[in-house]
Amino acid sequence: MKKLHILASVLVVLSLLLAACGGGAETPEETQPPVEQPIETQPTEPAVAPAEDKLAEVMARGILIVSSDPAYPPQSELVPNAVRPADTKCATDQKTSAELQGFDIDVSVEIAKRLGLEACFVTPDWTLITAGNWADRWDLSVGSMTITPERMQNLFFSQPYYTTPAAFFVYTDNTSFTQPSDLSGKKIGACTGCTYDAYLSKTLSIPGEEINFVVDDAVFSGYETDSFALDDLALGDGTRLDAVLTAQPTGVQAIQSGKPLKQLGDPVYFEYLAAAIDKAHSKDPTSFVQKLTEVIQQMHADGTLLGLSQKYYGLDLTTAAGEFDVSLLGQ
Amino acid sequence: MAVEALSPPVGQPPDPDYQMGLDLMAFQQKQRRILSIKIAVVWLVLLGFVISFLLFIEFDFAYVVENAWFIIKEGAKWTIIISVVSIFFATILALLGALGRLSKNSIALGISGFYVSLFRGTPLLIQIYVIYLGLPQVGKSLALLGASLGLPFLSTVGDWFILTPIQSGVLALSLNYGAYMTEIFRAGLQSIHHGQNEAAVSLGLSRWQTIRRVILPQAVRIIIPDIGNQFIAMQKDSSLVSIMGVWELTYMANRMARKDIKFMEMFLLAAAAYWVLTIISSWLEGLLEKRLSHAYER
Repeated sequence: MKKLHILASVLVVLSLLLAACGGGAETPEETQPPVEQPIETQPTEPAVAPAEDKLAEVMARGILIVSSDPAYPPQSELVPNAVRPADTKCATDQKTSAELQGFDIDVSVEIAKRLGLEACFVTPDWTLITAGNWADRWDLSVGSMTITPERMQNLFFSQPYYTTPAAFFVYTDNTSFTQPSDLSGKKIGACTGCTYDAYLSKTLSIPGEEINFVVDDAVFSGYETDSFALDDLALGDGTRLDAVLTAQPTGVQAIQSGKPLKQLGDPVYFEYLAAAIDKAHSKDPTSFVQKLTEVIQQMHADGTLLGLSQKYYGLDLTTAAGEFDVSLLGQ
Repeated sequence: MAVEALSPPVGQPPDPDYQMGLDLMAFQQKQRRILSIKIAVVWLVLLGFVISFLLFIEFDFAYVVENAWFIIKEGAKWTIIISVVSIFFATILALLGALGRLSKNSIALGISGFYVSLFRGTPLLIQIYVIYLGLPQVGKSLALLGASLGLPFLSTVGDWFILTPIQSGVLALSLNYGAYMTEIFRAGLQSIHHGQNEAAVSLGLSRWQTIRRVILPQAVRIIIPDIGNQFIAMQKDSSLVSIMGVWELTYMANRMARKDIKFMEMFLLAAAAYWVLTIISSWLEGLLEKRLSHAYER
């Protein structure tokens, strides 16, 4: 008995130590050389054997596993009392497209449909999605993810499927601010680790776009998610925050739900939002990324994405994304 | 029962103090009843404060009533499953750890001491991240090692390191609470008088028989309230697995709140659900405790 429990304890401790060592060592070696990605050409047959190709693996499986955090309406949200379709091929710990709704979910379902697959969803926290190293738990993220140089270290991006204008919001009664540059030195809230955070610290760079940093020395308050920042701003003008920098549709939605807020001036920059694929997949994702870009370009060309954008936002947020030259990413 | 014990023996003259004893008992019962009523009144007043707080923050009761069943049905299910499975494994780990802590073997002492120190000394959230994100990388290294050494089975072993969110959560909670409960078990085992151990040895019982037949049955009675305590804490800590996308109570409440921008409603609903769960589990723990202390009742 004693021996057995010694053995058990040894295993526990060993696995932990291994986990601690394994963390850093592998990442640099896993970084694939940049992938050539011609846009207009037809996808060529992958040079690698089908067993090693991500696209072939996904097609053979018959389901497309998409990660989406249903914390960001109207992109992705829960469907209360949803009934799971009986004929679904999704595993029990995956969600079906009936259990979630939103712009991202509709785009995912459309992508899967055009690949001849069923879309199944997993819902990990946003930080786990952007960190890369998904360990093959899901195939891609359709989560309104902005293309940033940092994320491109871990992830491949498809053709963007829409854009999000980033705008400042202030308390509705405020009259002292008339344009975003008036917010210099003020208390500004935004989600921690997202692009708004980077914009305020003047470290944001978006491939294919020149960004004008108009706010100096903002006193930054980090939030787990934008809606908490908007809640704090809604407490009163300057009570906890003077302004919040967030996605224009997110702010507009908060106003429509009755929050005493208003948008300040024009959007300060645009984000390009694309599907993301882990670089550290155990199978080669090159042809998978190409195929996704091709499918999304089709969805731009036939107006499917514009229709969805009108449906969810009442705005055209997709045309600029369709014109984006994905080869500028150099991935 | 107590009244019967007081009745005078048959055939003897009535005890002059008999009526006085009965009066005393009736008086004490009345006192206890008055105390319960007073406590109930205090609870009602406090509940009234909570409800008036809800009224002040424009709490949308209709929304809560409308969505409560969906949140609780899906969310509480996973909270209960994860907590129950984790407390089971944590108990096993704690027993092993406590035996290690109490042994005289340097390896067992070293391992159990290191385990308790490490898992009690680091945040549960970080343990979850390490298990969910770090273990697959170990598996990947193993697979690469297997490929270079020509041992293909290592690739299969490597796949075992890719845990699902629920497995990761159960593993992290079990390891973390196992570490805390190791100390509870150790204290429980040590609280048994060493005379018991000596008596068992002199009867010719082996060390394992001594633990199994003499020490543990007595120690469990002392340990159970603390396990109940840990189980209550675990039900609330299980909310941390929501970061991996498990649809337990906190996750459901949070995502529903973001959908309809009803944060207070959903968070307080989740809080109430946790509260009810912990009330139920402390009641169950009380039953178990009563059951185990039969032998000690007079």
